[in-house]
Amino acid sequence: MNILEVRDLHKSFGPVTPVLRGINLKVNQGEFLGIIGLSGSGKSTLLRCINRLIEPTSGEILVPRALFDAGDNTALADVRHLKRHDLRLFRRKVGMIFQQFNVVKRFTVIENVLSGTLGYQSSLKSCLKLFTSEEKHQALSNLKRVGLLAHAYKRTSDLSGGEEQRVAIARTLMQRPTIILADEPVSNLDPKLSRVILDILKAVCREDGITAVVSLHTMELTKEYADRIVGLSRGQLIFDGPASDLNQGIVDEIYREDSD
Amino acid sequence: MAQHNQTRAQGSERDIFLEAPPQPSRGSGYYVRLICLLVVLWWAFEGANFRPAELVQGIPQIAVTLGRMLPPDFSKVMDSASYYFPENISAPKLLLPLPLSAERSVAKKRWWNNTFPQTIVGATLETIQMALAGTFLALFVAFPLGFLAARNTTPHPLLYHAIRLVMNFIRTIPDLALGLLFVAAVGLGAFAGTLALFIHTSTVLGKLLSESVENIDEGVVEAIRATGAGYSQVITFAVLPQVLPDLISFTLYRLETNIRAASVLGLIGAGGIGYLMNTSFRTFQYQEAAAIVLVLIGLVMAVDYTSYRLRRLIVLSPGES
Repeated sequence: MNILEVRDLHKSFGPVTPVLRGINLKVNQGEFLGIIGLSGSGKSTLLRCINRLIEPTSGEILVPRALFDAGDNTALADVRHLKRHDLRLFRRKVGMIFQQFNVVKRFTVIENVLSGTLGYQSSLKSCLKLFTSEEKHQALSNLKRVGLLAHAYKRTSDLSGGEEQRVAIARTLMQRPTIILADEPVSNLDPKLSRVILDILKAVCREDGITAVVSLHTMELTKEYADRIVGLSRGQLIFDGPASDLNQGIVDEIYREDSD
Repeated sequence: MAQHNQTRAQGSERDIFLEAPPQPSRGSGYYVRLICLLVVLWWAFEGANFRPAELVQGIPQIAVTLGRMLPPDFSKVMDSASYYFPENISAPKLLLPLPLSAERSVAKKRWWNNTFPQTIVGATLETIQMALAGTFLALFVAFPLGFLAARNTTPHPLLYHAIRLVMNFIRTIPDLALGLLFVAAVGLGAFAGTLALFIHTSTVLGKLLSESVENIDEGVVEAIRATGAGYSQVITFAVLPQVLPDLISFTLYRLETNIRAASVLGLIGAGGIGYLMNTSFRTFQYQEAAAIVLVLIGLVMAVDYTSYRLRRLIVLSPGES
């Protein structure tokens, strides 16, 4: 079953060459999908279009309405046309992990994790940083899952890069997400730490039945972790299939520099 | 082979200048601008009547004036007679909020409001109070202004431009002019001065805060938005923690600046130590003036030190909750 379908997605920033040129992509529920491509191939833009941190120029992003709305179970919703309230409901079911971790360094670890619940909070209550004891309990147990329980009350700036990314994963888990979008989650980490992070990410996704769409910069890690791989080159999908279908010709095509 | 490589290395070292793109020349515009700058500076010094020779000649006169200030005359600070303490009220009852008979409490109030601010210590304390109150009020206005006037957090570009325009306009009004305006409106005294400080500081702090907001790491904003957070939550959880150290620094810095500003506002009768200082200088009571200046220096240094400690305490402590 598809949890997410992208149809003919285009995105251009101004009059320059479009970043995305007609992306068609189906994501199966529960899979760990790897996106591979050079810098500038449109990976980050594609992921940000899915939760509309970037507004797509045209195309459709279809999800089951039940993903964010408890009411109607069968209909599909186009994320592009969600109104502000529905977009908030949708976003809180879609976690996001970033290359730069994007945690607040001045906050304690647990404060960063608790900020993952904001989509479920009223403005006033959360602006006063009033969290319930259930939420704190949830935050601590998510920190335990990523192995950072001992650091819960440390200042986040005292953590290492790999630990910051684990805080970000715990923050995302607070959203109780159905999908996690991860934009080059390990590009700033060394190969050993990269595996630690990807192991954690894959484990929590499997345990909670979360669908993951993860862009990675090395073929090696992608082959190792992804159930399915899509290759992106200059804003277009040029490969879609399991790692075993990748041959040298396609790899060369993905890694080919601009030469139209 | 090794020798060959060496020659090649030396050769390429020489040729690297040929290989590199030509260094861009500065062009004639550079020298035109340089000359313009020098002309403007010459014009400025000319207009400022800058005469180094006269300054050198005047050094002995500076020494004479400073000599007249020595030793500073602290008699008005130390002598209890100069405070005109009301009779029949004991010191604790005067200084602490203790219950008093109606008549005495009127006398106490009159002393606090009218007599005490005329003394050096009283006027000094009034200066601090004006600066504290004005800065505190300004913080409340500057806080929303800072977010509305920052390109990345403003709800609408039109609002952004409107607020910037108004802030820039008000900021150009000197606090002395604002002080005169408020003296005319609410009468002589500390209230007028406080209002002047409040208005001016609001626009300065608003401007500084908006620039700080524009320099934040947008990645955190993106991450918080991605959790489904609304506008006020993004401000609280992504923007505010990043600008808080700056906001505290700016506010404490403005507090120090405002103490100096408040002491000048006394010249136009808007409260504070400036009035007494001016009177002493105008009546050639240099030793008394020196005492006032020393009290003021002590005060400003104390505030500098306190704000430095406060800043370290807040900025370096871990998360707030």
